[in-house]
Amino acid sequence: MKKRNKKTVKIESLFTPLSSVFAILVGLLLGFIIMLVSNPSQALSGFSLVLKGGFEDGLAGIGKVLYLATPIMMTGLSVGFAFKTGLFNIGASGQFIVGAFAAVFVGVKGKEIPPNLHWIVALAAAMICGGLWGAVPGILKALFNVHEVIASIMMNYIGMSLVNLLVTKTVYDRFTNRSYPVMASANIPKWGLNKIFPFNSTNGGILIALFFVLLVHIVLNKTTFGFELKACGHNPYAGKYAGISAKRNIVLSMVIAGMLSGIGGGLDYLSGAGKFIQVVDVLAPEGFNGIPVALLGLSSPIGILFSSIFIANITAGGFNLQQYRFVPEVISIITASIIYFSAFSLLFKGLLDKYVLGKKKGNDGGDEADDEEFGKKVEEDVEVLRGGEEG
Amino acid sequence: MKGLDVLFFISQQTMFFAVPLLIVALGGMFSERSGVVNIALEGIMIMGAFVSVLFIHLTQDIIHGQLLLLLAILLAGLSGVIFSLLHAYASINMRADQVISGTALNMFAPALAIYVARMIRTVQQIPFKNQFHIKIVPALGKIPIIGPMLFQNAYITTYVGFGILIVSSVILYKTRFGLRLRACGEHPQAADSVGINVYKIRYAGVMISGALAGIGGLVFVIPTSTDFNAEVAGYGFLALAVLIFGQWKPSRVFISALFFGILKTVAAAYFSIPVIKDFGFSSDVYKMLPYIATLIVLAFSSKRSQAPKAAGQPYSKGG
Amino acid sequence: MEDYVIEMLNITKEFPGIRANDNVTLKVRRGEIHALLGENGAGKSTLMGVLFGMYQPEGGTIKINGKEVKINNPNDANDLNIGMVHQHFKLVHNFTVLENIVLGVESVKSGFLKMDDAREKVMRLSENYNLKVDPDSLVSDITVGMQQRVEILKMLYRDNDILIFDEPTAVLTPQEISELMRIMKELTAEGKSIIFITHKLNEIKQVADRCSVLRKGKYIGTVNVAETEKEELSEMMVGRPVSMVVEKSEPKPGEVVLAVENLSMKGNGGKNALNNVSFNVRAGEIVCIAGIDGNGQSELVYAITGMDKFLSGKVILKGQDVSKKSIRKHTTSGMAHIPEDRQKHGLVLQFTLAQNLVLQSYFEKQFQTFGFIKFDSVEKYALELIEKYDIRSGQGTMTLAGNMSGGNQQKIILAREIDRDPELLIAVQPTRGLDVGAIENIHKQLVAQRDSGKAVLLVSLELEEVMNVSDRILVMYEGEIVGELDPKTTDLKELGLYMAGTKRGSGYEKAQ
Repeated sequence: MKKRNKKTVKIESLFTPLSSVFAILVGLLLGFIIMLVSNPSQALSGFSLVLKGGFEDGLAGIGKVLYLATPIMMTGLSVGFAFKTGLFNIGASGQFIVGAFAAVFVGVKGKEIPPNLHWIVALAAAMICGGLWGAVPGILKALFNVHEVIASIMMNYIGMSLVNLLVTKTVYDRFTNRSYPVMASANIPKWGLNKIFPFNSTNGGILIALFFVLLVHIVLNKTTFGFELKACGHNPYAGKYAGISAKRNIVLSMVIAGMLSGIGGGLDYLSGAGKFIQVVDVLAPEGFNGIPVALLGLSSPIGILFSSIFIANITAGGFNLQQYRFVPEVISIITASIIYFSAFSLLFKGLLDKYVLGKKKGNDGGDEADDEEFGKKVEEDVEVLRGGEEG
Repeated sequence: MKGLDVLFFISQQTMFFAVPLLIVALGGMFSERSGVVNIALEGIMIMGAFVSVLFIHLTQDIIHGQLLLLLAILLAGLSGVIFSLLHAYASINMRADQVISGTALNMFAPALAIYVARMIRTVQQIPFKNQFHIKIVPALGKIPIIGPMLFQNAYITTYVGFGILIVSSVILYKTRFGLRLRACGEHPQAADSVGINVYKIRYAGVMISGALAGIGGLVFVIPTSTDFNAEVAGYGFLALAVLIFGQWKPSRVFISALFFGILKTVAAAYFSIPVIKDFGFSSDVYKMLPYIATLIVLAFSSKRSQAPKAAGQPYSKGG
Repeated sequence: MEDYVIEMLNITKEFPGIRANDNVTLKVRRGEIHALLGENGAGKSTLMGVLFGMYQPEGGTIKINGKEVKINNPNDANDLNIGMVHQHFKLVHNFTVLENIVLGVESVKSGFLKMDDAREKVMRLSENYNLKVDPDSLVSDITVGMQQRVEILKMLYRDNDILIFDEPTAVLTPQEISELMRIMKELTAEGKSIIFITHKLNEIKQVADRCSVLRKGKYIGTVNVAETEKEELSEMMVGRPVSMVVEKSEPKPGEVVLAVENLSMKGNGGKNALNNVSFNVRAGEIVCIAGIDGNGQSELVYAITGMDKFLSGKVILKGQDVSKKSIRKHTTSGMAHIPEDRQKHGLVLQFTLAQNLVLQSYFEKQFQTFGFIKFDSVEKYALELIEKYDIRSGQGTMTLAGNMSGGNQQKIILAREIDRDPELLIAVQPTRGLDVGAIENIHKQLVAQRDSGKAVLLVSLELEEVMNVSDRILVMYEGEIVGELDPKTTDLKELGLYMAGTKRGSGYEKAQ
């Protein structure tokens, strides 16, 4: 499988914020239709629950939303960061659970660690292990040209089984088939958030996630490192020409992405919300939910902040659906549809240009020609003509 | 188990794991050889398995045996084709990112399968009665050595798989359609310049991959379990690895599918195999094996990849 | 009554804001070789696109053999027996010659391929027209000249009578060019009609009967080639008397800036891409590497700039051995590179104008502290360069490079590389795809660089450019330097002989 984008077109940002809105609207619509088909009488009330999400339950509901948003904000950052540098980190799930295990392990076994540092050490462990897990597909790609998607997916399954194995060997509660609870000092401090938002599971994790949003934003946009990553992500050839080491960047990028997902796992399982690692052969869905978060957020940290809250919101709404004989999986259907339609940004841009901006089918012969290379020649000719006018 | 019995056992089990990989990988081959990367094989497998197992579940008291299975296979293929059209449309008409479109379908399929299953049965598993097991194929099953290896303790799905392999090879290399398909995957501009409709061919490629992946989903579930649980254990992705390892050629894909099938067999049935069962590793270790093996295999075969040159690049043709 | 096989009358084709073809008329007689001449931007490709059914004109009519027709797509064109050989061949690299020829018109029996009849027809055509090909070779294994013959056979196999050749000689050796001309004359002798798109006056004089000239989308006129001098054709093409010579003073070469010693590099297949290449470039001179595309020039540049590894030899810049050093080290040691493919290597199209201007220098103290970018400094620098090098853009420093015209994109690269004041400037085909004004400008800049005492290594495929701009010419053939020529004392004929590998300079004999 080769990399795409051979043809160069007039580059305007293909993924505009409006195209995200479009994808969301269509995704929601599809979900509604499915609900309508399965349970017509209650579809409307069910759907409004989905939309209201956490707000249905006031401040407590918002607290729930913040709690749900935390892990996917991290995995969203992970996937989005990788996207920016030209890689598809579909391995967020494996990195997430590996990070979770590291955090839980330190949390359960860390008797010697000073209590007020406990959660920090646990999170650090999560970060390191997640980073290591991300390094593998990165190295495989940089050195062996292995497609990072397949490698990451393999790592997801390996991670799942490895964590199951490690849990059963080290922190296993055989009566409940899951990991032991972590020591209280390992839980992320509440920092008063659960008083403002009276929901048990709300904790300081959301603030830590916000911190990383800011950090990633600074790194990507204000540093030379971010400049290099983006250059290589857009055009690896130009990156090489400019003396940037593509291999180093691929590996670093995946390591950072892995770290972000790993932290997500740590934040989730140290939230004091009664979440334990289940020893089952199921891939961590929080990793996959990072994908729509990243796509909707256009891979930018600020966008991811908002999109993660959006997805968390409809997820919270989804839980409430059960009172109406609807299955919460409809939320997964909605998010999958959103991903699908966010790939349609080209169509959306076309509609936008045509109906809103009133542009005629504008191209310089590149699209009309059945033949890409011939069309490019004509495009170049037209450019020369234009250039002759502007100088 | 005694020596030869072990061989027979492994051979039979390998078929259950290798054949679905083979079928799905061949499907992926048609798609990629036409120029469309189809990461959605996993989701299509799930969709095909879901529809056909549901069909079996609902009709298994009315229709019986191999006839039921054959009908189910057809249905699996059909639903795979329809589901794959979503990917085809996004990739070919919308020129969307093929990996993202594929991922969307991979997430959509299990979500839909679970949703419908739970709406109908309140649990997400769909059980079925296994009426398809063939203890011994008449005549063929009695041949010494080969008989027990290939024609005992089998399902017709295995033979369907072999049939698909042969037909695929012939189509790809001996027919006009195959020639044009390969041209579209290597140099779509060349194909277009001689009047070939690249869009149509790519649609065909994706639809074939849909049909085969759908069938592959059913073929995976039937011999290995008694219910469908909205997932196929990453087989759709393993099939992609099989395809890459097989360098997009049917004969090599077959060998690579056998290789992975053997690994999977060891993983699933290690406790029945002498010597291996005495290693004392837990089942989790064996579960990881096929995936680790895949990584190693990919590391060696991805460098000098002979992927179809134009795979993954949307073909821009004016409307 | 004139027997016109093609009449394109008053064709107008518009694209947003531009008339690519403005009331253009083209009449081609049966059995003639008709050249379509124009520089980049003239509208030749567009006109042929209309003829071949790729574009629908806003105005005008097309008549084939006297009958008015509508050509809506290449299939229609094919039905009218019009065929086209594109500049970049449309051949599937891992198919055989025979498979490529029959693709799209295969003979089948219930869907299965029947190649025997096809093979027979192809061999017959090959004999009749003296087009030697091996039907079972893979396209990736045959020479460019043979690939072109395969393209021609594709047209003949489909009984095309009207053959359009789009810049066919760009990739051929002078020998293969003569061969092509012979083929074209034979084809017309058999009754085919040929349209030959080009901007090369020599070739028009050699083979064409008549020539139609386009300029900036407008039709200038049609002449009999035999009665028209090259200067007149050139003037019609450009619109003013063109000075073929670049104004420059005598070179004053100083010390050696670049020394390449015994450079060898592996190539695809068995042969080496570079074989024991050695040469110098001094300060204050322009050295030009000439040769047909594909004889190792690209590889040589990659080796010198560090972008590709080589087997043996040395690259020494200002006395420092940079052979094994990183690309970044090359850049910071005083080497600048204007790459062959501006959009692939030279720019990040999704970055802004400003970001592209600092692509080679963002890491320097001027633009960053502790890894944080100093945006003000970047902006200031960008504005300076825009002013100095006259880079035009829609939104100033924030314009996305992908939204700028080819000429201005090239200006970005030039500005970035030249302003760094490099000791060695490597320019690979810097004027490709640009109009005459832009070309003159770039030549001026190269000469200015040389006059200020810097070394310039130019790699060019345009013979006029090679002859006019360089102080010394080094010809490459099959990965080796085969001769050194003085542009003042050599001529195109001699240059052609070297480029074809027929002649080798003393001291440049073939290695045993």
